[in-house]
Amino acid sequence: MKRRLLTAALACAMLLPSVLPLAGCAAEDVEVLRVYNWEDYISAPSEGEDDSVDLLAEFEKDYEARTGRPIRVEYSTFGTNENMYNELKINPGAYDLVCPSDYMIMKMIDEGMAEPFSEAFLSESNYAKYGSPYIRDLFEANGWAQYAVPYMWGTMGFVYNPELSETIEQDLSGWAGLWEERYASAATIKDSVRDSYFLGVAYVYRDELMRLQEEYDAADMTPDDEDYAAYNAKVTEIMNRTDEATIEKTKDALLALKEHLYGFEVDSGKQDMVVGRISINFAWSGDAVYTMDDAEPYTDENGVRHDGIYLNYIVPRECTNLWFDGWVIPKGAQNKTAAEAFVDFLSRPENAVANMNYIGYTSSIAGDAVFDEMTDWYAEGEAGDTDENGDPLVPYDLNYFFNGTSDGAHADGDFVIYVSAESAKRQISAQYPTEQVIARSAIMQHFDDETNAAVNEMWEEVKGLPIPAWAYIAIAAIAAAGLAIGFSYLYKGKRAEHKPKKGYRRVS
Amino acid sequence: MERLHFSRRQLCIPYGLFLALFVVIPMLLILFYAFTEEADGVLTFTFANFLHFFTSKAKLSTLLMSFTVAIISTAICLAIAYPVAYILARSGLRRRNVLLMLFILPMWINFVLRITALRELLDLIGLLGTQNYLNTIIGMVYDFLPFMILPLYTTLEKLDNSYLEAAADLGGNKFTVFTKVTLPLSMPGVISGITMVFMPSMTNYVVSDTLSNFNITILGKLIDQYFTTYDNWHMGSMISIILLVIIFVTMLATGGFKDDGREARGANLW
Repeated sequence: MKRRLLTAALACAMLLPSVLPLAGCAAEDVEVLRVYNWEDYISAPSEGEDDSVDLLAEFEKDYEARTGRPIRVEYSTFGTNENMYNELKINPGAYDLVCPSDYMIMKMIDEGMAEPFSEAFLSESNYAKYGSPYIRDLFEANGWAQYAVPYMWGTMGFVYNPELSETIEQDLSGWAGLWEERYASAATIKDSVRDSYFLGVAYVYRDELMRLQEEYDAADMTPDDEDYAAYNAKVTEIMNRTDEATIEKTKDALLALKEHLYGFEVDSGKQDMVVGRISINFAWSGDAVYTMDDAEPYTDENGVRHDGIYLNYIVPRECTNLWFDGWVIPKGAQNKTAAEAFVDFLSRPENAVANMNYIGYTSSIAGDAVFDEMTDWYAEGEAGDTDENGDPLVPYDLNYFFNGTSDGAHADGDFVIYVSAESAKRQISAQYPTEQVIARSAIMQHFDDETNAAVNEMWEEVKGLPIPAWAYIAIAAIAAAGLAIGFSYLYKGKRAEHKPKKGYRRVS
Repeated sequence: MERLHFSRRQLCIPYGLFLALFVVIPMLLILFYAFTEEADGVLTFTFANFLHFFTSKAKLSTLLMSFTVAIISTAICLAIAYPVAYILARSGLRRRNVLLMLFILPMWINFVLRITALRELLDLIGLLGTQNYLNTIIGMVYDFLPFMILPLYTTLEKLDNSYLEAAADLGGNKFTVFTKVTLPLSMPGVISGITMVFMPSMTNYVVSDTLSNFNITILGKLIDQYFTTYDNWHMGSMISIILLVIIFVTMLATGGFKDDGREARGANLW
């Protein structure tokens, strides 16, 4: 008996080393903040780039300096909203701060999984001070302000190579441009059900959307317009339709599109654009900025000129998808104070700049530091200056985003960047959509389980169909061959058993 | 003092634990998920996932696509690998080990890297973006060829020459010797190779995604979708179970489980 116990103990000992470090953690006397974020979604030190700020380390220092308590950030990442959601469901209280996308934020709020931010945070934090008034109003109007603090945001549109055809800009100013025969094998869309569904719905209802635009005279509408709320609500309604007929029409539209697409992509679209493998990419605005930056011709530090292409970004005139990712404190979080301090820290304009530099997406934080950085990136001169062709620079108005967030360096109404007419179609238009684009942008709601199932089934059919005729023939031929072989074996086997060949005797 | 002594049974404990933890329990979990559904946090037993799979056009067409891709890839692998293995094993080439190694070498290079490189190559030839089915099959064959060559080579190499000599002495010409002796004796290798290639080509969606620009969906991809983006582990588990059954049946059909001593020849390397 003794021996048996010993063996069992030994067996256990083999498993122990994997358990020990976990137990060790709990005993430590340092405050912990557990952050769960998208991959590559915060400024971190990277090899070869000395200027990227290690925001996590900076936060730890800053927190200790301000509260006198040491803290350690346990930072982990996820790949999809659903992965994050599942993780929270399985293990509530495992994280103090998560960063889901728009529809997942809505779902979490609906299901009571989000802990509200404190009053003090909402009124006094850096987010209250520097958060873009446009974004804050949007969150207020939708009732998310208490539960989520926006982090990055943007639109969806096409990155395209203007040299592909004479009329490409005209063609892609409507979603239907992607369906045109002349762009066969030139474009990719996202291998993602929600993004592609949006694209399909926009195509299906393009005429209705345009009629709506005429009705409201909304071609140049801005959110300041009195009809904006009514118009935008209707666009949002259309873009969130999930009735059976819409799903069916969307499926047909996407199946037709699939026939002449270059393909779908998850992450390869950027590189494929840069090397010229494709000429049109349905992209998130942040990725669009990255792609355009990467494709541009440039001169390196040795003065060598590198070839490239100037790509443009366009948001079709019917509508676009306004998306954002935001910080949410999940119910059961164990360190709400530190979570708020972390969001507060990230909401400082200089840290927003660090993030924008590193990630390339657009922060929801405004303020002088961000505006100055954008001026540094994009401005080609002052009002009245001309570009290299002698044409006057055009104003790119960012007041809707920055007004009221300056510490005094800029006055309201001053947030204008002067760029050449060509540049106004490039990075800056993806970084900050114009007010006209904002007016026609719809937020995609989260679907209930039943709708989700229907939309997913639609997407599976789009991805799984059509099966080419030769596949049926191949399968039929192989099945026939298999059967034939099987039968011949059976037949042979029987014959051999019952009728010995001539001249042989069966040995008993 | 008593000497520390382990009986054979006791030595098995760690392995038993390992099997329980990493094989049996996960399999039971998959089974559990496959036959349950969740509504408002309550799990109920159901056949709905099973029925849904066989009534869904999307899933059946995906199944058919996976089958087609896997069967064609396996057939091509066999057609290429058999002569290669035969030549390497039987023709007394000098340095045949080096040659064999050249065929096996790609296996030692990271698989994602190989497929990414293949994508560039196909782009160079002009197949990428136009020949999605062809590309996927090229990718599968390229990726799994070594798994077909190795078992074939091992069986053919160990083939006793006296059988062939006997067959020749008894008047068989080269063709007869091959069909009546070599081929039947190498069947364990063929079957082993087929199982090695067929199973992964039904599920290896990295190949189909990368080389067909996500135009071709196979079952592995569907499973991945259910777990990562559709947030439905029940359906994902059901598809896994169905795939498992399909593979099990294929193995039975090809006699992979027959334990009649042929394995002793080293055919079932894997």
